[in-house]
Amino acid sequence: MTDAPIDLAKTGSEKPIVGRSLWKDALLRLRRNKAAVASACVLILVALAGIFGPMISPHPYDRVYPQYVRAPASLEAYPREEAIIPAFERAMARTRLDIGEIDVEGSVVRVSISSEDPLDPRIVRYIDRSDLFSNARIEDLAADERTGVLAADVHRVRFPFGTDANGRDLLARIFIGIRVSLAIGVLASFMALVLGVTYGATAGYLGGRVDNVMMRIVDILYSLPFIFFVILLVVFFGRSFVLIFIAIGLTEWLDMARIVRGQTLTIKRQEYVEAAQALGVSSWGILRRHVIPNTLGPVIVFVTLLVPKAILLESLLSFLGLGVQEPLTSLGMLISDGASNMRGASWLLIYPAVTLTAILFALNFLGDGLRDALDPKDR
Amino acid sequence: MARDPILKVRGLDVSFRTNDGPVHAVKGIDLDVFAGEAVAIVGESGSGKSQTTMALMGLLASNGEARGSALYRDQELLGLSERQLNKVRGKKITMIFQEPMTSLDPLYKIGRQLCEPLVHHGALSWRKSRARAIELLELVGIPDPKRRIDAYPHELSGGQRQRVMIAMALANDPDILIADEPTTALDVTIQQQILELLASLQKRLGMAIVFITHDLNIVRRFADRVYVMRLGEVVEHGEAGTLFADPRHDYTKMLLAAEPTGTKLPPAPDAPVLLEGRDVEVVFGTGGGGWFSGAPHQLRAVDGISIALRRGQTIGIVGESGSGKSTLGRALLRLLPGEGTIRFEGQDISKADRRHMLPFRRELQLVFQDPFGSLSPRMTVGQVITEGLLVHEPSLSTKARDARASEALKEVGLDPAMRNRYPHEFSGGQRQRIAIARAIILKPKIVVLDEPTSALDRSVQKQIVELLRDLQKEHDLSYLFISHDLSVVRAMADYVVVMKQGRIVEEGATEAIFEAPREAYTRALMAAAVNDTRFR
Repeated sequence: MTDAPIDLAKTGSEKPIVGRSLWKDALLRLRRNKAAVASACVLILVALAGIFGPMISPHPYDRVYPQYVRAPASLEAYPREEAIIPAFERAMARTRLDIGEIDVEGSVVRVSISSEDPLDPRIVRYIDRSDLFSNARIEDLAADERTGVLAADVHRVRFPFGTDANGRDLLARIFIGIRVSLAIGVLASFMALVLGVTYGATAGYLGGRVDNVMMRIVDILYSLPFIFFVILLVVFFGRSFVLIFIAIGLTEWLDMARIVRGQTLTIKRQEYVEAAQALGVSSWGILRRHVIPNTLGPVIVFVTLLVPKAILLESLLSFLGLGVQEPLTSLGMLISDGASNMRGASWLLIYPAVTLTAILFALNFLGDGLRDALDPKDR
Repeated sequence: MARDPILKVRGLDVSFRTNDGPVHAVKGIDLDVFAGEAVAIVGESGSGKSQTTMALMGLLASNGEARGSALYRDQELLGLSERQLNKVRGKKITMIFQEPMTSLDPLYKIGRQLCEPLVHHGALSWRKSRARAIELLELVGIPDPKRRIDAYPHELSGGQRQRVMIAMALANDPDILIADEPTTALDVTIQQQILELLASLQKRLGMAIVFITHDLNIVRRFADRVYVMRLGEVVEHGEAGTLFADPRHDYTKMLLAAEPTGTKLPPAPDAPVLLEGRDVEVVFGTGGGGWFSGAPHQLRAVDGISIALRRGQTIGIVGESGSGKSTLGRALLRLLPGEGTIRFEGQDISKADRRHMLPFRRELQLVFQDPFGSLSPRMTVGQVITEGLLVHEPSLSTKARDARASEALKEVGLDPAMRNRYPHEFSGGQRQRIAIARAIILKPKIVVLDEPTSALDRSVQKQIVELLRDLQKEHDLSYLFISHDLSVVRAMADYVVVMKQGRIVEEGATEAIFEAPREAYTRALMAAAVNDTRFR
């Protein structure tokens, strides 16, 4: 190739026009689908909550507040004003001072005090002795030391979603539950994706006896009862986070393998595959460059529907008590807890259930939108 | 003409909403159809000829919109509700489509599908409609209609299915029959029969036919009046005779001159034989042979063919679909397992395995018929054409590959700046050029061309034929040119092999075959392809 340098110089000046791939086309179509875009936004928000929520939440998810067991959901801070004032009065009674009106401002309680003798600063100890109050101090002491204002800090905490039967903040637990559920859903789906696509594409492309043997193995695995399989795994290896996504991934890749095999069977008859064979491209090259990229459309749709399925399966396992280990939790476990406390503490069921439903809705809508966007018939 | 047209289209405008903004497919055209005449709408793909009729029938895709007016006997068709439109459509105006394989529902017997419009529009009972259906099948020339009425679509051949489609369209004595490329998917001899049938039906039933086609030869033989469409506009219309004798618009002149011309001289007699096949046989097992299915069925697609391709030679392989010509081409490239001896430059490659075949792969290339299916939709053009380099010259740097891609694209007449685009952004002719670039980038000695021009418009066909001839001269290529289109074969090949049912019926120098075909089968093919007599 003697004329290569000339050509290189020429092509260097010609700026190649970047084409619009089918993926970009699909993305454009997806962007016009309002439900899918909204779902994607919801998913991003939920995912951010799962990732950063536990970090910024004021309560660790496993912190127990024994005094606030099953506190209902409320925006008001605990302890409530009605509870603070009597407690403060009780503590003040020991000081034997004349007190004015008790005033609660945020996390500070104030009361004006007066006495016939000069005020002894040690009286603050009476207040500090109470569990509720800390850092009691006398402010605005008059010059004659007979009147002043006694202030004390109250440790007040908010539980916007209430607390569970052990006195743990439900919001923090939902955050960690989202993290665990999404992680299991995504990891299990990813595992199913990698296993299923490789296995299905190989079986479909090689065909013949190899295909027969490979797909019979899939059939045998299909016939294993899932719950039984998981119980066996749990019995052997103990309950753990990793085990659950492996268990779900190991059962879900079978569907994926079948879908990809079917796709591969049609793609392998396409002329571009034959063209690649005529060029002498190896089987692996054809699989990698031609078959797998062209199966990805339906595969992506299937994955978006697989993620909610994996989340639901994990919920089922958690509900049955085979899921992640306390104090770690997942949305399924939270719902299970909520269901057993439904009568007295409905918020324990409502908030996790709403979160899970929102995630599943969003994933299904997104999957639907993706299917429409990737469907080449709609072009 | 004093008569009033039965279909009067004024200012018809069709546009589609797409990702890239609205696409104007039909731009305000006028069209008249008089009772009992044959009107042809001619144009290349993308000219809007199909969308015009789709708009009239209310069959536009969901993102399409039609404006203007279309009066059928003073009734406005555009903007009718589905229910009102159904009183006209399928009864007074009917349509037949290009693809007879997919226009019939495979789940129902053809009798049932024929009776459906009769019961629906004609208000006949199912029992009476059956008698009428048999009558219709007889009318369209289906042999033994009483038995055939209970056949499923897959039991009929392509031509017979098209006849059933015509029978369905005729069921309610329509005034206008719209035929959208009804013969494009059929073999030439079948094409001929279907056109004859349509012409005789038109005469007997006195209906108007609107014929949509890109094939001027059919128009010349069929139509009374012609509309020539281009880019959504009617560029010229008039009586068929005058239009063909004296075309005024440049585009019409270009279409008329688009028949591929020229011939190819045979190579020097001492040119070495590059590829030689001796007693090549390909047998497909079509099921059977299992425990319960009895003796295996075997189909001899290629049945003992010997062929020798010299350097610089083009052998045209001609035959109808199912004659085994594509199978032969693939068997010679060892893409299909077959019996017999295949030699490339004297070396026997008929038993070579995948690894031993690899060095020969770059010498033996293949170009396919369908420029839409042969390019992987997820790869850029640059990736598509350099894939062979990855295999055969793995040491090339990315930059050098890119340079080779640009070079190959230039050679096939495309702008190298296009190499980062994707195949769906190109037209059919451009894609075929890309496919050719993929084949020649490896500098092969032999290219098998499997119907490379059949899916293309006439004018594009001509360009591709010229491109292939130029490339042949430049690189001293040998072609195996597989086609059912005799005019293209005549322009491309210096030697012709006529195949039928896996065997060679006749072979010889192109001129000899075309001037004096010996076999009846060859003569039938010729008669169907090059014939100027008018139908009826």
